[in-house]
Amino acid sequence: MLVMKNINKVFQTADIQTHALRGFNLTVNEGDFVSVTGPSGSGKTTFLNIAGLLETYTNGEFTLDGENIGKLNDNGRSRMRNHKIGFIFQSFNLIPDLNLFDNVDVPLRYRGFNAKERKRRIEENLERVGLASRMKHLPSQLSGGQQQRVAIARALATGPRFLLADEPTGNLDSEMAQAVMSLLEDINKQGTTIIMVTHDAQLAQRSPRTIQVMDGRVSEVDLHLTAANQQAIA
Amino acid sequence: MFTYYLRLAWISIFRHWGLSLLMISAIGLGIGAAMTTITVNYLMSANPIPHKSEQLFYVQLDSWDINDPFDEGINPPDQLTYTDSTNLMKANKAFRQNVQAQAYGVIEPEDADLLPISVTARANSADFFAMFDVPFIYGSVWSKQSDINKEQVIVLSKKINDQIFGGENSVGKTIKFDNNVFKIVGVIDHWQPKPRFYDITTGAFNESEDIFVPFSLIAEEKIRRSGNTNCWKPSGDGMAAFLAGECIWTQFWVELRSEQEKQDYMTFLNAYVEEQKQYGRFQRPLDNRLSNVMQWLEKQEVVADDARMMMAMSLMFLSVCLLNTIGLLLAKFLGKAPEIGLRQALGASKATLFTQYIIESACIGLAGGILGLGLSFLGLIGIENLYGDYMQGLATLNITMMTLAIALALICTVIAGLYPTWRACNISPAQQLKSQ
Repeated sequence: MLVMKNINKVFQTADIQTHALRGFNLTVNEGDFVSVTGPSGSGKTTFLNIAGLLETYTNGEFTLDGENIGKLNDNGRSRMRNHKIGFIFQSFNLIPDLNLFDNVDVPLRYRGFNAKERKRRIEENLERVGLASRMKHLPSQLSGGQQQRVAIARALATGPRFLLADEPTGNLDSEMAQAVMSLLEDINKQGTTIIMVTHDAQLAQRSPRTIQVMDGRVSEVDLHLTAANQQAIA
Repeated sequence: MFTYYLRLAWISIFRHWGLSLLMISAIGLGIGAAMTTITVNYLMSANPIPHKSEQLFYVQLDSWDINDPFDEGINPPDQLTYTDSTNLMKANKAFRQNVQAQAYGVIEPEDADLLPISVTARANSADFFAMFDVPFIYGSVWSKQSDINKEQVIVLSKKINDQIFGGENSVGKTIKFDNNVFKIVGVIDHWQPKPRFYDITTGAFNESEDIFVPFSLIAEEKIRRSGNTNCWKPSGDGMAAFLAGECIWTQFWVELRSEQEKQDYMTFLNAYVEEQKQYGRFQRPLDNRLSNVMQWLEKQEVVADDARMMMAMSLMFLSVCLLNTIGLLLAKFLGKAPEIGLRQALGASKATLFTQYIIESACIGLAGGILGLGLSFLGLIGIENLYGDYMQGLATLNITMMTLAIALALICTVIAGLYPTWRACNISPAQQLKSQ
């Protein structure tokens, strides 16, 4: 379970203070699929970075699976990221010098699995995203959709409890986007908690729960109800 | 994880080969220049006889002119007169003692097919061989009685024995040297102390001699002496007058096994000089010196000033190369910021990433060290050609120096990589991942 209570994040430069999050409160239960929407600069990505332990918060209380994140040092945060969190980024973020096998291998190396276990997990997850036959290819030899599927395989390889996706379909055409979304839904059905930041209202509608971030604060929105109302009006 | 880091380093070096080549070249050039000069200095200042260098002492007595001191009064004369050397030999107060001088001559082989051979010779006492641990292949040293009796005995070097006798045991045979017949009593193995500490006055890095004969034969004019001769007042005509004069041309070594023996010998030297003062000699204040091997090499400044200067300059050049490497590493690692951010997101701690990139730096250093070794070989050949005989035998890289070259390259590159690695590991992952 992810619990954020009264989280504030202030970016400080020499002259300017920017409040990215102001009293941010959110609870995400195990198995949830939460879409996070909001206009640019509203604080969605800052929230996702804090949730993914990629960024620290100024004050407030944040627990992930019962662990007080504020008390963790760099090693503890790294271990938490590796064991419990998977990331999917808008621009895929594959390492261009490594082939698909080695890209998926990266988090498994940090986890300390032996070679046999790593191989099993890499093959299993690349199979899951339909790219098992292209293990030795470099990212540059794949389409955008295929690269995102590799990134998903990499995110799933360690068996994370939470999958954090930042605009995962932002660089894909609508057909690819729908395919990636379907894949995420399958993953969620198998028990992985997903938090997805997106601008795409249609994709957000497909998730069971949607929250909107505005001026660094969270407001819960039920897009399904809105869509149903819209249909009734039509 | 170490092999994984090595593999990542290899991939990174290979994929960014242009930048990597620049860094490897910079380190290679720096290490090559530094190791060339460090090797020369190291070999020049090496202890040529480490197991007993503190038991062998070079003797100096100040027999020089009262009005015009030797070496401006800083040091007593660097050699002894024939009178003093022979007196010290006769006194026989040390565990071992050796008087010596350089000589030369021509060997006429019995085999008519062989041409006469011009050789360098050392006129020395019997103790020379035991004092300096000269290894014998055949036979042994002549006896002390042979010294006293001025017997015409000779010890050949391996080179001369190979040349004249085809490497066979020549002990017991005779050889004609400067028209005198000498009986061969021994053949020594290849022996080349570096520096040639036992006679620095004729060149610390010259080859050791071709033959060895009793010092006492010089007075008999059976052999021709060479080397440095300095006189502070004219001697008369003829060999006898020269030997009795105040010319310095002999070197005198003693072997003293303990501090007590050294003190006793110094007491003896002081008493000897006081006694000589009675005869009107040694008018300068008492300044007798006993220097062990390393002290003697230091006093004689065996490591030339220009060699030290070259080493200092090459180390500065290495520093410049390392500064360039720091810049290149910084560019390379900061260029990898997105990958570093991603690795952090996937579970790498700062310490893990630090290790990974330090290993990559070390791999670059290793490659640079290997290139530097090759350049050192070339540099040493260049120095040998530049300096000629003076550097003969010094232009070699032994295992110690090769290990040092690699270690120096690794240490320098790892140090050079610390700042770029630290900078790279402290980037904000969120910022990097967003900016992709």
